[in-house]
Amino acid sequence: MSGTICPRCSSSDAVSDCQGMEDGTVIWTIYRCVVCCFSWRDSEPPSAIGLGVRSAAFAVDAANLDHYPKILQQ
Amino acid sequence: MNDLAKRAREITSLRDFLALLEEAGQAITWSERVMPEPDVRNVAVAASRDANGAPAIVFENIAGYPGKRTVVGVHGSWDNIALLLGRPKGTTIRELFFEIAGRWGDADAQISYVPEAQAPIHECRVESGINLYDILPVYRINEYDGGFFLGKASVASRDPEDPDDFGKQNVGIYRLQLQGPDSFTLMTIPSHDMGRQIMAAERTGLPLRIAVMLGNHPGLAVFAATPIGYEESEYAYASAMMGAPIRLTKSGNGIDILADSEIVIEAEMQLGERVLEGPFGEFPGSYSGVRKAPIFKVTAVSHRRDPIFENIYIGRGWTEHDTLIGLHTSAPIYAQLRQNFPEVTAVNALYQHGLTGIISVKNRMAGFAKTVALRALSTPHGIMYLKNLIMVDADVDPFDLNQVMWALSTRTRADDIIVLPNMPAVPIDPSAVVPGKGHRLIIDATSYLRPDPIGEAHLVSPPIGPEIDELSKKIRSMQGGTSA
Ligand SMILES: [Zn+2]
Repeated sequence: MSGTICPRCSSSDAVSDCQGMEDGTVIWTIYRCVVCCFSWRDSEPPSAIGLGVRSAAFAVDAANLDHYPKILQQ
Repeated sequence: MNDLAKRAREITSLRDFLALLEEAGQAITWSERVMPEPDVRNVAVAASRDANGAPAIVFENIAGYPGKRTVVGVHGSWDNIALLLGRPKGTTIRELFFEIAGRWGDADAQISYVPEAQAPIHECRVESGINLYDILPVYRINEYDGGFFLGKASVASRDPEDPDDFGKQNVGIYRLQLQGPDSFTLMTIPSHDMGRQIMAAERTGLPLRIAVMLGNHPGLAVFAATPIGYEESEYAYASAMMGAPIRLTKSGNGIDILADSEIVIEAEMQLGERVLEGPFGEFPGSYSGVRKAPIFKVTAVSHRRDPIFENIYIGRGWTEHDTLIGLHTSAPIYAQLRQNFPEVTAVNALYQHGLTGIISVKNRMAGFAKTVALRALSTPHGIMYLKNLIMVDADVDPFDLNQVMWALSTRTRADDIIVLPNMPAVPIDPSAVVPGKGHRLIIDATSYLRPDPIGEAHLVSPPIGPEIDELSKKIRSMQGGTSA
């Protein structure tokens, strides 16, 4: 694991999925949290991806993932 | 057939339509460098302010995506919808409504097949090392979306239990969230065709393969977004409604796809698996919750050379979503009501996918409009969506909100409304009592007939008819200026 911290659930299990390159320079990196499935680009404004800056209303509790409903249950 | 109508029928692809829009001043190229977030969203929202005249916007200089293009707003204004339907810019919404309503059952489908080797969609093919984040210049549509969404993808699939039936092949727009370089989730509900197919595959253990088409013939998005009968082919329907041929080919995983689309993603569902999806800023203007949704693994991607990634801005209205689906939400309700009640003269269900609808009707007898309203609630779309219904007389144009307000002001009594408690509701309606259950409201804003004693015997009758329509157009043309 990369050790990158997820701004939504604060887990430190985010992986890097893609880098935007221009002339050999990295412009941005897209990360994905394997715990809560949040994905983000490190060039986004802090209001969307800043740990502690994001609206708490959109936080996900990594310890309580069971309560999210599963769609299309038989 | 006039020139505009001929041009519209000659459209075979997104590229054709963008060329037509550009000629008409209805597509612009954004060459200034933009960050994927928040710039693409900001430009799209700014354009959406002009529901009548907003252009499609092609971004060709997106940071980190050299050489790649994204387009938003292809269906983002009534002028763009008018050009798609072969009508001039400035055509009124009411005229566009009757243009679509008039095409109902009017023409036959014209479907042709192109060999895969000759189909533009297969010009470039990626079968290994697939990274959707790299192929698609994605952007976060709304600030608190849970990830990067494809908001305008037409998903084609075969019925897992009857894979050879052309008609049971489904094409629909479902929101997809990227879940890694070669995975995505798909959001649907059990009553949608895709929901039925997913549940059938998981019940039987049969594979469910799909083809996700991006950057499609602009008629498909308009005419395949509305529920039709399960056994009717959306391709055939879209072709008939456009009055134009549609070219199909096969995807690498055996599904019929549009031969001239920009990009197709082939994928297979991971049976029984669910991962967290959402939130997503949806058409009511609020975020969906976080839920566990089925996940698909990408097996291959085909695309045209220099593909254009088409996406949408959707959220709190007015947005492209409203112009994309509004008229074709309204027209089926109109056609279905008129089967029983020819007194219905127009249906406006433009607002939030029909959460509010306005129906004009010639009152046959006292209270008749309420009977029609109750019938509207039992149409396929009405069952889940028509939450607030305003019934007006036939002398009120439901597409002219000033007239609707007049009817509300002068023909409504506060005790002449109906509230139906605890009815089915579309799960993402934020006003629902609980998701999936809520109240319905019918406001009868029609005038009173006998035996009601009020009546309206002394109405002012302003001049109406073709002469007034022409004068109205003349006034607009005398204003000069440009539509842009
Ligand atoms: Zn997380």
